[in-house]
Amino acid sequence: MYLFANATIYVGLALAIYSLLIITLGISTKNQKLVNSGKGGVISILVCASMAMLSLFYLLTTSQFQYEYVSDYTSSELPIIYKLTALWAGNSGSLLLWTFFLVLYTVMIAFSRKMKGNPMVPYISAILLGNIVFFFLVLGFVAKPFVLLDQVPIEGHGLNPMLQNPGMIIHPVTLYLGYVGLAIPFAFAMAALILKNVDDFWIKMTRRWTIIAWLFLSLGNIFGGQWAYTELGWGGYWAWDPVENASFMPWLTATAFLHSVMIQERKNMLKIWNIGLIITSYALTLFGTFLVRSGVLTSVHAFANSNLGLYFLIFMGIAVIGALYVLMSRYNLLKRSAGEFNSYISKESSFLINNLLLVGAAFGVFWGTVFPLVSEAVRGTKVTVGMPFFNTVQAPILLSMMFVMAVCPLLAWQKSSLKNLKKNFLIPAILAIVAMALMIVLGIQKAWAVIGFGVIVLLFITHFLEFYRGVKARRKMTKEKVYLSIYRLMTKNRRRYGGYIVHIGIAFIAMGIIGSQNYDVQTMKTVNLGDSIEVKDYRINYERLDQKREGINDIVYAEMTVFRNGKRIGNIQPEKVFYGNWDQPSSEVGLISSLKEDLYVVLSDWEDDGKATFIVKINPMMTWLWIGSFMIVIGSLFAVWNGKYQNITPRYTGVRKEVS
Amino acid sequence: MKSKIYIGLLLIAFIFHASVFQVQAKEFDYKSKKFEAAASQFMCTCGCGQDHFECDPKTCNLTVGFKEDIVEMMNKGWDKDKIREYYVNIYGEEILTAPEKSGFSLVAWVMPFAALGIAGVAIFFIIRKWVKKKGMDELTPDSEDQTDEVEEEILSSMIDEQRKKYL
Repeated sequence: MYLFANATIYVGLALAIYSLLIITLGISTKNQKLVNSGKGGVISILVCASMAMLSLFYLLTTSQFQYEYVSDYTSSELPIIYKLTALWAGNSGSLLLWTFFLVLYTVMIAFSRKMKGNPMVPYISAILLGNIVFFFLVLGFVAKPFVLLDQVPIEGHGLNPMLQNPGMIIHPVTLYLGYVGLAIPFAFAMAALILKNVDDFWIKMTRRWTIIAWLFLSLGNIFGGQWAYTELGWGGYWAWDPVENASFMPWLTATAFLHSVMIQERKNMLKIWNIGLIITSYALTLFGTFLVRSGVLTSVHAFANSNLGLYFLIFMGIAVIGALYVLMSRYNLLKRSAGEFNSYISKESSFLINNLLLVGAAFGVFWGTVFPLVSEAVRGTKVTVGMPFFNTVQAPILLSMMFVMAVCPLLAWQKSSLKNLKKNFLIPAILAIVAMALMIVLGIQKAWAVIGFGVIVLLFITHFLEFYRGVKARRKMTKEKVYLSIYRLMTKNRRRYGGYIVHIGIAFIAMGIIGSQNYDVQTMKTVNLGDSIEVKDYRINYERLDQKREGINDIVYAEMTVFRNGKRIGNIQPEKVFYGNWDQPSSEVGLISSLKEDLYVVLSDWEDDGKATFIVKINPMMTWLWIGSFMIVIGSLFAVWNGKYQNITPRYTGVRKEVS
Repeated sequence: MKSKIYIGLLLIAFIFHASVFQVQAKEFDYKSKKFEAAASQFMCTCGCGQDHFECDPKTCNLTVGFKEDIVEMMNKGWDKDKIREYYVNIYGEEILTAPEKSGFSLVAWVMPFAALGIAGVAIFFIIRKWVKKKGMDELTPDSEDQTDEVEEEILSSMIDEQRKKYL
């Protein structure tokens, strides 16, 4: 097994180098046979990567502790699902997963039906193969997944209990799918530049890939937040940790890209900017990996004892310098823009402002993340840049972005006239102001909350009007029924209406964030058995404290009955779990959710006589955050779904080459 | 006699005060907004990556003492700024969860907005350059109507649909 497992890595590396060289040779000699050989090589690499994955799965599930990785991240008692997910618990395993996804994506592109016969394919494959070679080099010589120990331990160290959570099964996988996915538009952009194809073909071809990568990045962040909320017991979902920031930055720049490509498609403008955004997004995924695996910044997410960051930094440097060189060498071609703006106020302008804010937010996150290093370099003091900084800096930027998001749908392309502005915005603006006044009357008086909710109301109204006008116009022509009209309107322009669903989802998330950040209530109370804790409208009866054993873990739990306004609404059981093979205990929170608020109870401490200390939090509007997240997924899937009339391959009008 | 009464009253007052203080210390709400304002300014150094407000005393001995010290200072009437000043004088800026808004650290706060402002001005000039007729009023009435634009799009999508059906 040892030989087989290691062979999958080294043969994979050899095949990746062979494929890269042979495709490059095929391109330069215009020899289709060589290119085909390289493409065949990609399939073989997928076989190797799959075999490596299966080997590690096998070793993990059969608890073969003679392997360092298995011993480090599993134990005999670990449930089978977590033995499997231990594959991405450590450095080398997670890089193997990354490599597998990258190879899988490369095969999908190299043998794509839509890209058949397209001269860009060998270039895209070569660029992705360059990435694959790097990852196999790392797996083969730096972070080896199949290392044998000198002495076989009787038992493994076990998996970090924090990672033994359903959220943690999906969170890393979705995040990696997002990270790796951003390599695809990058490879397309580079291939287009090398071939001097400066039209928007590559953008249309990669649109779906970019949305999918964006969706996975979103999911990764959402699952991470959900895990933090339920598993860490601090009642929050986003801590602005450097590693969280590392996944948020490419999300912001990819969001900017998804909007600015529309200007390139419509007006043949912003070509350099769009390529710049794709290079930045791709570089930020590598930067994130550098942060996680280098240890330069303190993070609860970082992989321990890792010097891998340096390799990623070097690779990122090579990729960025190479990409900038290609970009500069095609600068003259790209700057020949055909379009121009007709007005200061138009949809195009709002997209530019949207890009400014998104990239500005990404820069703010980047700056805050690296500032400890800057401060240390300049004056020898490594300051901490934490939540207060990011909340203060990001709140106005992201709120402005929400405002642009609210206004943009009702602005016309080309030019918004005074009449148009008045007609579209008068009623929404009045309604938003009325809503804000109502909020103040009802007791919501914090300035940020009132402004934030006001902008959200404006967004809902403008988006509703966008649907309403579309249905009205459609019914005027077709006399269809309302529901049929909504369905057809949306399915005929999936990207636009999918985007609107995502916007509404973001608004729900913003509602959750504003509500939970501004109006949370929490208290810490020590009570005797049989006593109650009263917080806001809730009465929580503490009825029982007991202990149970699950496998090698000891669990102390409290049984509590919850009443709201005197009416019983359910039972909760907050727990403290003590692991047999891990020093740090963890909290399982007692949670009752409703659309209005979450009741969140943590068992903090207890004494022998049953007296216990609880942290009780009331987090308003948290459910809306998860509903919004769900809508982001629905909207993205709706946008990329292959409808009956959507399956159109853009016409390739670029340079013809002899190989494809 | 009088002095004995005074001493007795003083003793009662002292006992009463001490017991009140004990109860206060015992029942102090470590999750109150006031305590949050003070404790969330300081980073816990146990490796949890959290501030002293969030750090769990059950798993971190360091935060237990720190929290008690803060409560003591609050009972003395110190506000969050004075507590902050006290700790910064001892441990330096490293103990804070966010950089100070003075000296070199001010750069951390200013830079994102300065960059955004500069980029905003640059975008304004770029749009101005792209707008066809320079100096024209950007809100000139336009014959193009939003509804027409939507109708046009719907119509073209319907024509496209029919074309694909029959051709």
